[in-house]
Amino acid sequence: MGVAPALRALLARRRQGNVDQLRETLNRFRALVEENDHVLELIADAGEKLGGEYVFDSKYLRDLAAQLKDAAHAVVTNLNAISQDRYPDLLEALAKIDDAVGAALECRLVVPEAPFVVSLEDVGTEQLEVVGAKMARLGEVRNRLGFTVPEGFVVTTQACREFLEAAGVGEAVEVLRAHFMQGGETLEEESRRIREAILGARVPRSIVRAIRRELGRLVRSGDGEPLLAVRSSAVDEDGELSFAGQYETVLGVPPEGVVDAYRTVVASMYAPGVMRYRRLHTIPPGCGYMAVGILRMVPARASGVIYSLDPTAPERNTLVVSAARGLGKLVVEGGASVDRVEMSRDPAYHVVARRVAHKERMFVAVSGGGAVAEPVPDAERDAPAVSDEELNELAGSARRIEQYMKAAQDIEWAFDHEGRLFVLQARPLRMAVVSEPRGRDLSDIVRRYPVLMRGRGEVACRGIGSGPVCLVTDPEQLPTEVPPGAVLVVRAATPRIGGMLAGASAVLTDLGSATGHFAAVARDLRLPTIVDTGLATRILTEGTEVTVDAEENVVYEGRVEELLRYQLSRASSFEDAAEFRTLRRMLRRIAPLRLRDPTSPAFSAANCTTYHDVIRFAHEKAICELVEIGWVSPPAGVHYVRRLELPVPLDLILVDLGGGFHVEAGSTTATPEDLTSRPLVPVLEELTTGGAWETAPASMDLEGFMSSATRPMPLTGAQAARPEQNLAFVSGEYLHLSLRLGYHFNIVDTYLGNSPADNYIYFRFAGGVTELTRRSRRAALLKRILEGHGFVAEGRGDLVVGRIKGLDADAMVERLRMVGRLIGFTRQLDIHMRNDRLVDEYVDRFMSGRPFSSATLSADEEPEDKGDSEMSTSTEVLVLDDEPMVCERLKEHLERKGYRIEVFTESQKAVDRLAEKRFDVVITDLKMQGPNGLEVLRFVRDSGFGTQVIVITGYGTMDAAREAEYSGAFEFITKPFSSKALETTVRKAARKARKAKERTQR
Amino acid sequence: MKPARKKVLLVDDEPIVCERLRPALEKIGFYVESYTDGQKAVDRVMEESFDVLVTDLKMQKPDGLEVMEFVRQHSPATKVIIITGFATVDTAVETLKSGAVDFIAKPFKIRNLCDLIVKLTSEEAG
Repeated sequence: MGVAPALRALLARRRQGNVDQLRETLNRFRALVEENDHVLELIADAGEKLGGEYVFDSKYLRDLAAQLKDAAHAVVTNLNAISQDRYPDLLEALAKIDDAVGAALECRLVVPEAPFVVSLEDVGTEQLEVVGAKMARLGEVRNRLGFTVPEGFVVTTQACREFLEAAGVGEAVEVLRAHFMQGGETLEEESRRIREAILGARVPRSIVRAIRRELGRLVRSGDGEPLLAVRSSAVDEDGELSFAGQYETVLGVPPEGVVDAYRTVVASMYAPGVMRYRRLHTIPPGCGYMAVGILRMVPARASGVIYSLDPTAPERNTLVVSAARGLGKLVVEGGASVDRVEMSRDPAYHVVARRVAHKERMFVAVSGGGAVAEPVPDAERDAPAVSDEELNELAGSARRIEQYMKAAQDIEWAFDHEGRLFVLQARPLRMAVVSEPRGRDLSDIVRRYPVLMRGRGEVACRGIGSGPVCLVTDPEQLPTEVPPGAVLVVRAATPRIGGMLAGASAVLTDLGSATGHFAAVARDLRLPTIVDTGLATRILTEGTEVTVDAEENVVYEGRVEELLRYQLSRASSFEDAAEFRTLRRMLRRIAPLRLRDPTSPAFSAANCTTYHDVIRFAHEKAICELVEIGWVSPPAGVHYVRRLELPVPLDLILVDLGGGFHVEAGSTTATPEDLTSRPLVPVLEELTTGGAWETAPASMDLEGFMSSATRPMPLTGAQAARPEQNLAFVSGEYLHLSLRLGYHFNIVDTYLGNSPADNYIYFRFAGGVTELTRRSRRAALLKRILEGHGFVAEGRGDLVVGRIKGLDADAMVERLRMVGRLIGFTRQLDIHMRNDRLVDEYVDRFMSGRPFSSATLSADEEPEDKGDSEMSTSTEVLVLDDEPMVCERLKEHLERKGYRIEVFTESQKAVDRLAEKRFDVVITDLKMQGPNGLEVLRFVRDSGFGTQVIVITGYGTMDAAREAEYSGAFEFITKPFSSKALETTVRKAARKARKAKERTQR
Repeated sequence: MKPARKKVLLVDDEPIVCERLRPALEKIGFYVESYTDGQKAVDRVMEESFDVLVTDLKMQKPDGLEVMEFVRQHSPATKVIIITGFATVDTAVETLKSGAVDFIAKPFKIRNLCDLIVKLTSEEAG
């Protein structure tokens, strides 16, 4: 059914005056919103669990999946009820997601859509499930860290699935899996049969073609026929469990042998050693697929392995290098004739111990395939395989990769004949023995270090990191990158900073939450992170070496080596645990939001691939349904739909559910005087009379607002079709208000009757298109304001929901006025939230009812009484600004309003004048020659005449402005400001001055 | 002279709970033994006195209440903390009545449990 017939049907229904139907729709909508919020909360909570702060078990995972499924289904059911089942596709999409989440929970096979082969140039950890862990890490090392790795490509898990399907082993795998899950021990026979089936199967043509195509590229890019390494890269290698050496790797493969080698590697998924390993670590088979890396072999002069920390004696704080001549086969396979060098982990990397082996043979790749042992020339047999410079380069590289991967590393490397270093593989190092001081010993040792901060804020990701402080106080002036290894200290946990975290060793923030976007980024990078400390930027100084223990929530001065080694040498990190791996897998099908832009054709039910997509889509469409239903031009004769006429450009359609307003029949509009809805009146009063509509800051004036409203843009909560449309469903006691203002979306749902028990307010704010930084700032701000007014507020990323209930009528009206003000206020925030420091300022101002200069919220503004004009004529104002233009403008404007003005462009003269004459109000710039604004301010304050000072400031001088406030300024106004806002402020200042004068005269 | 380490006995049939808690408690100076089998924990209580018992509620025989009951009889000084994923007001009240000093619903923050144990054991010391 198209939109038009649906609309007609709905309209017809409404013409019958079916208010019950409307109410039902509205109830459905409210239920949808509630379930939507529930899903968001569950997602945020689950994300937080990945940070390692929580202990959870498999029951939690099952509960999570069940709750998410229920809530998401409720959202969709309600949408379909509202929309007359317009979205059957959504149910299909939902069923797929249920399956995928269920599969992740049960550790069943899931393979993301992907081509059969991808080039290593396009690979990073985000493609883990496509390219397997080993290749994902190698891609990361190449593409993010810039190391040289062998050229090559990856045959994906998708290809593996296709191949295994062709091999017909699916059923056998399921049997094996079921057996395993029941704790069966005799898996050898089953796995042998699967292995043989794979080895005997034909690789599908389409995969072979894809492999040949990439091979062709490799051949063309080098000289001569390349020899290849065919390496396993299973998705099982998720987390830290590496299956080290369990899967097959075939070296020295000529191009024509690649397909056979591919088959061999895939079959090794079911090798006996692998099955034992699985049993040991409780990793069921059939949990993943084998991707296979096909890489050009490095013609190695020397190769080997480096451990970034000695796994057998971490307390020695050394790196260990094993090196052989030629290919690294000997090293990896644990053969003899290998040099062993121990080096310090400090950047000098001096050699602590060295044992040079007598090397009689070395492995080289041969063109027919494979590797053969060749004798080492007599003269070179006792020479070290690598030089000291090369050792140094190896050590530095290992430390860098370790730093980035946040774990001690086991790295395979090679130097070619030109002395170029290749990283062949990098994986987390398994610690054989944990001989670190633990328990009481460690806590005793750690006690010796000075503590800079303890127990402040919230751990967003557990871990320990150390480095020099990189302080970022102004998010508008982010460094392009954080110095590698630095501890990033920022004011707010904003997503923009999230983009530059990769090299950091730990993060501390003043503001933010463990459930925000930023925290999620930090967890992705496994970066020890403490958010919401309140003071980190103030007590830590640039360049100071600190150690962040994001487990005990302590920041130490200096490098606490014992803690750092404890971290690196821990037997396993929490991410290894099966529950964490499962949760991470589940969340990939739950949390990512891919449908962001409702105006895009891709914004469709069929494209919903996560629960987050589904609820975003459903919420969006539900609002469209409500708005689109046809209130646009209220049909004449329908007595309960009216367009509200307001003095401000707010297009509001009212739908009366009974007693919400009264108007004459035949009219299509209503005025504020017609309103009889108890909750709507206070909200609207504040919303329309406040400063929200009168400001005209440069970046977004009213015209800008209106044009932004009609410009197509990705909205998160609002509808695309009629973005300027706002709706209020009203009755005498009830209000449901859906507003899209500027860049964001507000919903107010409230009941105001005579019984406090029935009364409630639900306030919901969803950030819109604004860049995420400002959004999350706003969310933090709104949450604090709501809480300050007694709401229970939840802030999750860019969404804030506040609820309050049980208030009596007076308290309700007061809160509703606040809500109206808050809505106007949020419109301001799009413009003003440029600076994180402003968050505090705004909260203070809003809470104290003092408006923020031009952003006048009129919280406590008295009505403009007649006395004011009389008052202004007797009000003496001194204006001081070193820019004559500013002075002229102020003078002209204020004189027109009847104030008596004296203007000064030199502060000394102004001070002289202030000494001889009493003024009611002083308006002063901050930065001037001679005595500056602050000095003028102090002078005035100390003179004790009750003179009120208004400080003018630009955005760049907020700190000074803040100081001005502490020094007793009445108000500060930020440039550019509107003349109306100025006038309001001057009037209030004058009133206060008059009162002060009366007091002193009494 | 260093005071002796306080001893914590952990019992939870989900290995991950023990795996997570044990190092966290050791890091802040506790001696920790952990068991996924309530019976083994009970056996250890016969041999060793623990300052704190942290036990899951729903387990195979003996369950958390039984382990707690046993500990209360044989080692009355041991303070008992119940952790459970089946948290309701009723179970909380029931366990507290049966003598547990605290009740924590799963999932919980490691720090919260650690803080609680620190508090309990320092009370004892003071």
